[in-house]
Amino acid sequence: MTEQKPLNKRTARDRYTHLPPVVRLEGISKSFGRVRANHDITLDIRPGMIKALLGENGAGKSTLMSILSGRFPQDSGTIYIDGAPVRFTSPADALTAGIGMVYQHFMLVESMTVAENVMLGQRGGFLLSPRRMEETVARLAEKYGLEISPSAPVSGLSMGEKQRVEILKLLYRDSRVLIFDEPTAVLTPSETEQLFEALWRMADQGKSIVFISHKLQEVLSVADEIAILRRGEIVDEFHESDVPNQKVLANRMVGRDVVLSVDAPPVAVCEKVLEIEGLGGDGLDDIRLALCRGEIVAVAGVAGNGQKELVEVVCGLRRPAAGRVEILGRPWNAFYPHPPRRGRSLAYIPEDRQGLATCKYLDLVDNFLLTTRHAFSRRGLLDRAQAEDVTRRIVQEYNVQPGHVDAPARALSGGNLQKLVIGREFFREPAIIVAENPTQGLDISATEEVWNRLLEARSGAGILLITSELNEALQLADRIAVMYRGRFVDVFPRTDEKKVEAIGLMMAGVQPE
Amino acid sequence: MYAELVIPVLAATIQAGTPILFATLGEMFTERAGVLNLGVEGMMILGAFFGFLFTHWTGNPWIGVLMAGTAAGMLGLLHGLVCQVFLGSQVVSGLALTILGVGLADYLGTPYVGVITEGFTPFAVPVLSSIPLAGDIFFRHDALVYLSYVMPLLFWFFICRTRAGMALRSAGENPAASAAVGLNPVRLRWMAIFAGGFLVGVGGAYLSLAYTHLWTNNMTAGRGWIAVALVIFAFWRPGRAVLGAYLFGGVMVFQLRLQAMGATLPSSLLLMLPYALTVVVLLVSSLRGGGGNAPAALGVNIEPDE
Amino acid sequence: MMGYRVVKRQEPLNWGSFFIFLVALVLSLSLSGAMLAVQGKPFLKGLYLLWDGGFGQLYALEDTLLKTIPIFLCALGVAVCFRMQIWNIGAEGQFALGAVGATWAVLTFPAAPAWVLIPLMLVCGAVAGGLWALVPALLRLRLGMNEIITTLMFNYIGILLLQYMVYGPWKDPASFGFPMTPMFPVAAVFAPVVGRIHWGIVLCAVVAVALWFFLYRTRLGFELLAGGENPRAARYARMPYNFLVVFVLVLCGALAGWAGVLETSTTLGRLQSNVMAGYGFTAIVVAWLARLRIPTIAVFSFLLAGLRVGVENLQLELQVPAAFGGIIEGLILLTVLAGQFFVWFTLQPRSKGED
Repeated sequence: MTEQKPLNKRTARDRYTHLPPVVRLEGISKSFGRVRANHDITLDIRPGMIKALLGENGAGKSTLMSILSGRFPQDSGTIYIDGAPVRFTSPADALTAGIGMVYQHFMLVESMTVAENVMLGQRGGFLLSPRRMEETVARLAEKYGLEISPSAPVSGLSMGEKQRVEILKLLYRDSRVLIFDEPTAVLTPSETEQLFEALWRMADQGKSIVFISHKLQEVLSVADEIAILRRGEIVDEFHESDVPNQKVLANRMVGRDVVLSVDAPPVAVCEKVLEIEGLGGDGLDDIRLALCRGEIVAVAGVAGNGQKELVEVVCGLRRPAAGRVEILGRPWNAFYPHPPRRGRSLAYIPEDRQGLATCKYLDLVDNFLLTTRHAFSRRGLLDRAQAEDVTRRIVQEYNVQPGHVDAPARALSGGNLQKLVIGREFFREPAIIVAENPTQGLDISATEEVWNRLLEARSGAGILLITSELNEALQLADRIAVMYRGRFVDVFPRTDEKKVEAIGLMMAGVQPE
Repeated sequence: MYAELVIPVLAATIQAGTPILFATLGEMFTERAGVLNLGVEGMMILGAFFGFLFTHWTGNPWIGVLMAGTAAGMLGLLHGLVCQVFLGSQVVSGLALTILGVGLADYLGTPYVGVITEGFTPFAVPVLSSIPLAGDIFFRHDALVYLSYVMPLLFWFFICRTRAGMALRSAGENPAASAAVGLNPVRLRWMAIFAGGFLVGVGGAYLSLAYTHLWTNNMTAGRGWIAVALVIFAFWRPGRAVLGAYLFGGVMVFQLRLQAMGATLPSSLLLMLPYALTVVVLLVSSLRGGGGNAPAALGVNIEPDE
Repeated sequence: MMGYRVVKRQEPLNWGSFFIFLVALVLSLSLSGAMLAVQGKPFLKGLYLLWDGGFGQLYALEDTLLKTIPIFLCALGVAVCFRMQIWNIGAEGQFALGAVGATWAVLTFPAAPAWVLIPLMLVCGAVAGGLWALVPALLRLRLGMNEIITTLMFNYIGILLLQYMVYGPWKDPASFGFPMTPMFPVAAVFAPVVGRIHWGIVLCAVVAVALWFFLYRTRLGFELLAGGENPRAARYARMPYNFLVVFVLVLCGALAGWAGVLETSTTLGRLQSNVMAGYGFTAIVVAWLARLRIPTIAVFSFLLAGLRVGVENLQLELQVPAAFGGIIEGLILLTVLAGQFFVWFTLQPRSKGED
């Protein structure tokens, strides 16, 4: 494994290593319903230091920082600024106290210029002079080495530049603590370099930087301190003198729990249900995959690395820009827009079960009919009574609670809704199943039920499982493909222990040797 | 001789376009803050009536104009109440407002149909009206027309060169970002609704106090709706609104002249021109990607946070 | 606001709709009553006359039923459009075109017998109204043109077209210059079924049943209901969304057209300008109140028709201007919109210590 010695280009760090913390989070806990997002977290943020918060999806990093930046309050615990306890009721409060957050989804007015966005909401005279605003912003940008054109409309900026505008907003308001939520998720490698340079410069001028990430390489390059979160708790903290190597970090970050053990014989003869060759465009990079009937291939990776685009292509919602996609032996153009309805069909179980897979105000029968309607129509007429019977049967079979089929889908919990969706899609006896994060937001028992269903369906179909939960991939898959920045870093059988060990690294984009 | 024919037509065009210009700028102001108010027709005609009424009572047309704007603005506030407080659909609320406003004006105005009142009389601007050609076209009108010359500039200045204008724009483009920097987009929208409505009311008042000096039913004849379309045509910028308003003014004048000249084309067909033109105008806007220039949060209510 | 916080409900209120309408009605009538007082008319007597005129006697009930017919037809069409979130406010213009279409049929085949003429009128009315709605539909699909303004402009153009025909080519030479067509022959008039109620009511019933059957027994109807509810899910489930957009608009055009046919044939017996009575706008109010529940549409159509007849009574007895009806309708819609807030949201008192 190639280990690069990270280049930390900070010049003035020593000035800050012994100063007391600006912000102290003590005993912070936060739950959403039954989900414990943060549990008894204690953390210090020191001036002039860059601290990385590392952890998988759902580990609780964003929640913690949302609390710190004033978006919502903690359930228990205290925040201290300069030693004094504070309570934030809104992000504006936090901003006044000097804490600002640069979100993943920028809060910019697209049609306004950079300068206007930076100065928006600031007190001042009645009149505005664009020229003077731009000069002020130019000076500020120069001070921190941020390359940006103040007169440019935000709509025309690249992601990296938009991020710089968000940073400038905070700097203009004299923020002392700047929190970045997955800042490099939307940046190109060179923009990432530029961001790091800016972060170092800001830290050298005494700002505190908190950097949420799951990308090991970058964290090691830029951070002075690292805190690792897992399942809502801090499991490790490293300071600048004792940061370990990537492998250790990866293992600590991912952890592993075994819930089910699966006995699955590998496929003897491959009957290809899905074949992808050289798929590119829309952020995808030379994807190659063959899916056989009787196997589960898990596409593992952090969300936002091209999975959505891949799913849309396979499910016919997006035309493949380049390359070859064959579904059940037929090219994409021939399979869509009139795919076979039952038997040799493709079933798509989307991640967004409430907004996409179902209509929340319609009842269970209508939701069942959503994708199975052709099976119950003859010559244009719909036999709803028959559909109702079938729905009742499926509801019972899949243990969907509550069991009355005329309840609106809204009344169902996430797990039960998912079971309904699965029951519906399996009814169509599909030859391919595309399941996107099927157990997201579900509790343990619902998760197990869903996993069991998927395993059952395996015998008759090929399943493409898109997941950002490493554990899920490891439980269900016959083969695992790790996706990063639109391409498959590797595709390997689950039995390959060595590669499985390196999954964490692969998800962070590190090529295995 | 040529000038003798053209100049009066152009001057009449200015007059015909003025109420539309006021109404368009008013609705544009409201929409820039993100609120779609389809009740322009109702607000305009209510403004026309109240302008007439108060002028009739006080003898002072400026009071009439003030009350016209206020009445229309208050009707707009009703729309604001339904949409901002009760989160009702902006589209349907605007339609209801039109039904209500038109009915209200018609109802209250019944005793006054055909009654004549004081109003604005044209006067020549001292130096400017002596300019050959231009002087006769632009500077021999009444006070409201001169006011309408200044309005687009004021509009532009406020929206683009003041802090308050920038805040207003942010409420219409991205209320979340606006709130994130400490502004209050809901309050900004309230102010835009009233101010925009006020202008629309002034446009209506022009019809009963300057264009004519009386009150009848259906004074606005769909001008309010034309204004709504013109906001789209103008890409939400005041400059093109001027162009559009005078374009429609011209068409209306053209149609009147044709009728007066005893043209064989029946009046009904000629009357279709402004509405057909509106569709054409929208067509052109759509072909040029018109909708993309709208304030990003137009028509979207600001829901309370969890 | 004040000591309360607005919280979105877990589930929208189900029984809210009729209750909200009642509250809205009371509120609107009170405010309108205030309007009466402004003009010096007696408030309570006015409200009584409103009721009596619409529902008080058999004759009034007949009048109300007669007005229910066009409102019902238009409201069905508009409600179908609204279900797909197509804001079609062109029912007025489509109504006008329907009237024009039927008149064309009558004037072209004046000697035809009833069993030919009536169906022909219906066909021509539906085609004319449907085409009138088709244009905005295509403009929306192909060019993304907002249907609100286009259908509205088509209202004005359609009504002017009607006026043109009536003032011009179709003017009755024997009418002393008044703009109206010649009287329709008896064969072109829908005969009464019960009392003064004509066959149009049977047509309404047939259309209602057919629409119900279409929505709940056919696949396309299901796609309309489900797809309109959630266009994203419609795309996921591969529904024919574009086709449905055109379909609902043309259907509304045809139904509004039929309303126009019936009104021309029965109420007036000829085509003249005042066939336009604003039923298209009242239909919007009904459609918003009732959504796409057919019996509810019937009920609200009946109520609002009664309101109109009542206002006519007010006109007669107290010389209240006809525009009063518009005030009531506008207020009803606004109050219902405001009331629907409570279907989705509830107010929770803020707890102490929370900011």
